[in-house]
Amino acid sequence: MKKFVCLLAVLFIFAAPASAQDFPNKDITLIVPWSAGGGTDTIARALVKNAEEHIGVNVNVVNQTGGGGVVGMTAAKLARADGYSVGMITFGLSTYKLMGLSDISYRDYELIQLLNQSSAAISVRSKSEWTTLGELIEFAQANPGEVSLGHTGAGGAWHLSAASLGVLHDAEFNFIPFDGGAPTRAAMLGGHVDAVATGIDEVKQLYDAGEVRILAVNALERHPAFPDVPTLEEAGYKIDAPVLDWRGLALPQGVPEDRVAIIEEGFKKMFEDPEFVAFTEEVGLALVYEDAEGYESFLANMEEVLAPTLDAVGLLKE
Amino acid sequence: MDSLINLLDAFQIIFSNPYSLMYILIGVAAGIIVGCLPGLTATMGVALLVPFTFSLPPVQGLLLLLGIFTGGIYGGSISGILIRTPGTPAAAATLLDGYPLSQRGEAGKAIGIATIASFIGGSIGALIMSFLAPEIAQFGLRFGPPEFFALAIFGLTMIISISGVSLLKGAIAALFGLLLTTIGLDPLSGVARFSFGSDDLLGGITFIPALIGLFGFAQVFHNIEKMQIVPQVKSKVGKILPSLKEIRSLLPTMFKSGGMGAMTGSVPGLGADVAAFIAYAEAKRTAKKPEEFGKGALEGVAAPEAANNGATGGAMIPMLTLGIPGDAVTAVLLGALTIHGFQPGPLLFVNHLDIVYPIFAGMILCQLVLLIVGLAGARLFARLINIDTRILTAVIFLLCIVGSYSIRFSFFDVGLGLTIGVLAYFMGKAQFPVSPILLALILGPMAEQNMRRSLMLSRDDPTIFFTRPISAIFLFLAVFMAITSYIRFKQLRKIEQRVADDAAVENESNNG
Repeated sequence: MKKFVCLLAVLFIFAAPASAQDFPNKDITLIVPWSAGGGTDTIARALVKNAEEHIGVNVNVVNQTGGGGVVGMTAAKLARADGYSVGMITFGLSTYKLMGLSDISYRDYELIQLLNQSSAAISVRSKSEWTTLGELIEFAQANPGEVSLGHTGAGGAWHLSAASLGVLHDAEFNFIPFDGGAPTRAAMLGGHVDAVATGIDEVKQLYDAGEVRILAVNALERHPAFPDVPTLEEAGYKIDAPVLDWRGLALPQGVPEDRVAIIEEGFKKMFEDPEFVAFTEEVGLALVYEDAEGYESFLANMEEVLAPTLDAVGLLKE
Repeated sequence: MDSLINLLDAFQIIFSNPYSLMYILIGVAAGIIVGCLPGLTATMGVALLVPFTFSLPPVQGLLLLLGIFTGGIYGGSISGILIRTPGTPAAAATLLDGYPLSQRGEAGKAIGIATIASFIGGSIGALIMSFLAPEIAQFGLRFGPPEFFALAIFGLTMIISISGVSLLKGAIAALFGLLLTTIGLDPLSGVARFSFGSDDLLGGITFIPALIGLFGFAQVFHNIEKMQIVPQVKSKVGKILPSLKEIRSLLPTMFKSGGMGAMTGSVPGLGADVAAFIAYAEAKRTAKKPEEFGKGALEGVAAPEAANNGATGGAMIPMLTLGIPGDAVTAVLLGALTIHGFQPGPLLFVNHLDIVYPIFAGMILCQLVLLIVGLAGARLFARLINIDTRILTAVIFLLCIVGSYSIRFSFFDVGLGLTIGVLAYFMGKAQFPVSPILLALILGPMAEQNMRRSLMLSRDDPTIFFTRPISAIFLFLAVFMAITSYIRFKQLRKIEQRVADDAAVENESNNG
């Protein structure tokens, strides 16, 4: 019996180096920290749709939700570092530590790549009296706190994006947090809030149908899918460093380098798959690629942008 | 008239492909299985199968998913009736009378009624969706934070109907449930509450493991205790179809509940679970014999089942017309439609009638298939209860563990389910009802968040709840429901007291 165990152990030792070439030889799991059917989940599923062509195995999406994304992202950080668990990481990771919600940050991962950046849009329903951002801001400046502005959750990208606009240009909004994009849109359409801050892609359908007016996009350049929507600067309210929503991919730390390289290459191919690209165009999502290094500096910069904004809305924990 | 022609065209499109009906059949059957397993909800069933639809033509893919949706909501009632463990949250109201029925050996009849009620409710929902979608969607948009708050308060008055023998104990259970909902990340302030630094608790009390704990685990512990003492109930499988007379007497309940379910489902944020409880309470409030509720009233099965399947059609309405999902399942369906290249929203009805009407027609067909599969399977399902309790209990225990784990792949959730299960077991011993906890878990966050949101909107002026018509109506209804339900409750206790006294007197005279 002992001999048999020894033999097994030896076999394992010899088998180990060979397995690197075999990687991946079983399905890969993609941990998505948001629920099935939401924006992040839909992108994740579209991304891995043709995984088998690009990395040789299927990639299964697993939704580990809760705690504003903390649960799923922590699960990705703690997952076995064998390369078979990849995590989708999202904007919240830039704020948890600053807000004192959790200790995790981008430093806890082996970053793979950035997938997209989304910009905030300030929108009103088409029946609204305001037709330009200028009118809205001037009204808010003259009547502090009169304009109710719905957003998708306290400390989220869209809340902070709109808050930085208000702080920089002395407009006091009455912020009304909703629980996600769908109820926020419903509240705007029903006229329960005067304006909303959401991702610009989240209002694409309603914009195309003429149900909403997008007053401005909080970005340095216009969005290719919305050529008629002015940037904040064009609308007369400049912001130097806009708060951007982002999504990306990461591995837990400690995955062997050769496997990291295989994952990087495989997911880059999925990212460039024409079907995925067509899907993102259809839904108005701006793809932005950054490799691990560029991704890291983007995330480092994001924390610097966010700290003063969180402070301004009273959510910074120091 | 246009919509009728479009609908007929859509039927033709569906029938022109011989595989279409097969996909509906597979979907409904798979949905029933997914639905009746605790922890595998309709939401998960649809989410799991979305990738399989990529390779199918969009219409067929959607038929499959709609089948799972329909079957899944219905399937939850089977395990609720048989083993007092609702397979989906939407079936939690069904077990209140379904389980007592099966304990009386009438599991087959209970499933039969659930099937027929689901068919009728689902058809009403599908028809309302097909012909009135744009109008209903506009109605749903009139619900803002104050309206949701008023609706949640209205919903919480149902606690009186599901409290059992003691109103006080029901209220205590509900307050306990409300307290549980305050755990976790508060989306309004971005602050963690009562999480004690634990990432798992930051996510709050996860609903499905709590549901499994309250009913599934608690039932397992209860079974283990009784196993050696109480002889097993033998289910009379023979009678599946309720008699025509019974069906006829239930029809008004089914139609009313189905309509209520469709309207409830069409308000974004309210799902089949809320619809089922509302219909149950309403059926009990207006019943000729309310004293039978909770002990195996047929209406108590018919009402929630008609309502939760009615809600499926209702929930599709805001998703298709506005791109705003009515509940969790339609959120997944929205994702599926998007991946197939159809962005739900106002333009869907302009640009893609080729997919809209097949969805409507498909929903109607799903109900028919559900009726056939359900009635055919009822005999088989009812037989499950005749399995030796010792084996059945072990299997349920295993399913409960897998179910609470699989909702988000978390061992923490298994522990959570077990803890709540132990608690619910002792609550049962002390005659505390557990359903109010569940209702509080569903409605608590809705009430709290929307109250705060409303006060933010009005800048701390509470009159906002009374000056908006819909909100005022629901608050008035809440008071009305509370008073009438309370009077009924008192009457019931009196009747029961008299019966008990009579029995005591009779005993005495017999002894004397």
